[in-house]
Amino acid sequence: MAQNQLKTRYNDLKRSFEAKPSDLKKCGSLLAQLKIGLIETGLLTPQGEHNLDDLVVARDILEIGAIWSIRTRDVPSFDRYFSQLQTFYTDYSSVLPPSKNEYPIRGLNLIRLLTQNRIADFHTTLESLPIPADAIADNQYISHPVNLEQWLMEGSYSKVWNARERAPVEEYKFFVDSLMGTIRNEIASCEEAAYESLPLKDALTLLFFNTQSELLTFAQQRGWQVDLSKSTINFSRKGEEQVDIPKEKLISASLAYARELEQIV
Amino acid sequence: MADVEMKPADKEEKKEEKKDEETKEEEKKKEPPTPLAEIKANFVFIDKAVSTLEPRFTHRVLRTLTSLLKKIDETILRKAIEEGYPKESATKKALLAWLSPAASTDVEMEVDASAAAPKPAPVTTEPVPEIDIYLRLLIIHQSLKSGSPVNKAKELSVETVQKIQSLNRRSLDSIAAKVWFALERAFEIGGDLAEARPMLLAAQRTAALRHDDDTEASLINRLLRSYLAYSLYDQADKLVSKTTFPISAGNPQYARYHYYLGRIKAVQLNYSDAHTNLQQAIRRAPPATVAPGFYQAVHKLSVVVELLMGDIPDRSIFRHPVLEKPLKGYFEIVKAVRTGSLSQFQQTVVKHAALFQTDKTYTLITRLRQNVIKTGIRRLSLAYSLISLKDICVKLHLDSEEDAEYIVGKAIRDGVIDGQLVHEKGWMTCGGAGGLKRGYGAEVADTFSRRIGYCLELHNQSVKAMRYPLNAHRKELADAEGARSREKELAKEIQDGDLDDDDIGGDF
Repeated sequence: MAQNQLKTRYNDLKRSFEAKPSDLKKCGSLLAQLKIGLIETGLLTPQGEHNLDDLVVARDILEIGAIWSIRTRDVPSFDRYFSQLQTFYTDYSSVLPPSKNEYPIRGLNLIRLLTQNRIADFHTTLESLPIPADAIADNQYISHPVNLEQWLMEGSYSKVWNARERAPVEEYKFFVDSLMGTIRNEIASCEEAAYESLPLKDALTLLFFNTQSELLTFAQQRGWQVDLSKSTINFSRKGEEQVDIPKEKLISASLAYARELEQIV
Repeated sequence: MADVEMKPADKEEKKEEKKDEETKEEEKKKEPPTPLAEIKANFVFIDKAVSTLEPRFTHRVLRTLTSLLKKIDETILRKAIEEGYPKESATKKALLAWLSPAASTDVEMEVDASAAAPKPAPVTTEPVPEIDIYLRLLIIHQSLKSGSPVNKAKELSVETVQKIQSLNRRSLDSIAAKVWFALERAFEIGGDLAEARPMLLAAQRTAALRHDDDTEASLINRLLRSYLAYSLYDQADKLVSKTTFPISAGNPQYARYHYYLGRIKAVQLNYSDAHTNLQQAIRRAPPATVAPGFYQAVHKLSVVVELLMGDIPDRSIFRHPVLEKPLKGYFEIVKAVRTGSLSQFQQTVVKHAALFQTDKTYTLITRLRQNVIKTGIRRLSLAYSLISLKDICVKLHLDSEEDAEYIVGKAIRDGVIDGQLVHEKGWMTCGGAGGLKRGYGAEVADTFSRRIGYCLELHNQSVKAMRYPLNAHRKELADAEGARSREKELAKEIQDGDLDDDDIGGDF
């Protein structure tokens, strides 16, 4: 694909992406063509010296691709775009002008890791961000996922719930739904351990449900006993678990000690 | 020139004088070797190492590297090169070109020096290339130390590495490991560590294929350092999982490796593994007084990791003379976590933010917040049998009662405390000291077997680490031979003695 053809396609993509509402279908087909174009010009995973403008265009295309994947709810595709963007964000960071989309996309990636419960990856990614750690609080795109993680870890679920409306970018909200599902399960497991019984009304607010029927189906899924006459939920205590003596393990350990002792003496 | 050369030697002598007044006379007769003499003695050792294929001599030379580096300067190096090589040697010219041109006064001083000491017989044969590389190593360190432009050291180290690779001699391996270290240092001071990475990676592959353990260990550490310097924990983790650290590597390399591993594991929230690695790093590190920097760095990280695991570090760590000052900020954090006071914790973090930032522990410390809360709740559950959520909220400085309820709920589920929430009344009932009964059964056996395993491992490692002198058994054989003949004699004597006894007995 010729260079100028790539340019016109890129402009096409930009137009249809920025149009409100953006034409997702058209963006998708354009992105597919553009990616082929980028591969042909060696810009998809650039190595060595390249024309600055070309690099910026390539980065823009990938960024649009990443955001487009979120809008079409395609998380694996977002993952791919993000990996491709890494080259631009890390290796070419000294040459390229900073992109205004960089931090929103990095933030989106962090939230994605959070919703998939990949906490270790979340922290590794956070650690490798090119901004100093105490500046994180000032960067709204990054501080949002960071706060979410902290609240989740300490158990301030209501803060997470309240923060869902304060997403810095529209796309963050896509992840909120799956995040809420995770939280609900977390809360439910806490309640099972912490309460003997709970009035339905309070369970409704604790679990952030709007209607009782939603709560009832949820309770059914978790196997809770709902006492409709008293309108309470009873959490069945799991009896003391029978602890098995790990016979095999103990035997093999004792044999190992004997063998080692034999060697020493 | 003679002056410069003698200074460090003088100093050393003075030290010894202070130490031991009585042996002053003796010391004067047998003054410590000048750096120049030391370098030349090292030439002999390296030569010996190459001719006898015994790497032990090279190791011996490299052990003195750090202390030697403090004493040398350009003139000493120049002289060592002048005297170590034959007159018309191309290697010599190449080496001398890396030193800054001699000052004009140097020439007459040279005459002075040669007049003072009887000139050694001029070397006629070209020394082994190992000596060339060793000298280059000294020159790199010298130029790094003297603060001359880093580019020179960088160029020289790259050239040296290429030379090592083209020579491809096994006797070079241990020196090569040190050269890589110098190269990395040069690039790091130059501020472009990332540039050296492809070179290091390629060299690491070659070293692994050639079973060049010294170099490989050094290179893996270089790479990890370079990744961590740019916070590329992902790549560092991949490197660790794709390589095996050579078992025969020396303690200093192991200590570094464990430290880097500890860092990576801590970031990945794998605290118990991180803790084991850091403990290993501390154990294998040189004594605190020799390498205080490393000792402090490892302890800083280890304190944070211990806190994250929910343990409280030993108080004695913070009293250690080498650690007391640099760890002050961390000590305050420990105090805050121990008392479970969120506000105190927050204040300490803000107060020492710059310190944690430079130590790269800031993000780890911010993760401690939840531990502070947990400790707080635990303390409350021990002190009260029944407490309202509102009081918890006030005591732990939480934002709302709603939050408190979720947090306590989570704590109960995670087994931090043993209690029950009563939502209608808005309080928490606490059932005794939480989780005490968990301490029996399989867990105890696990802990026991872990400890035993550690002791056995230690024993086996020490057995493996023992060195037996070569040919020692011959001496033993000779001894045995001698013992046997002595035994014979003894037996004979006894026989005679028996007779004597009999005689005596007979007399009676």
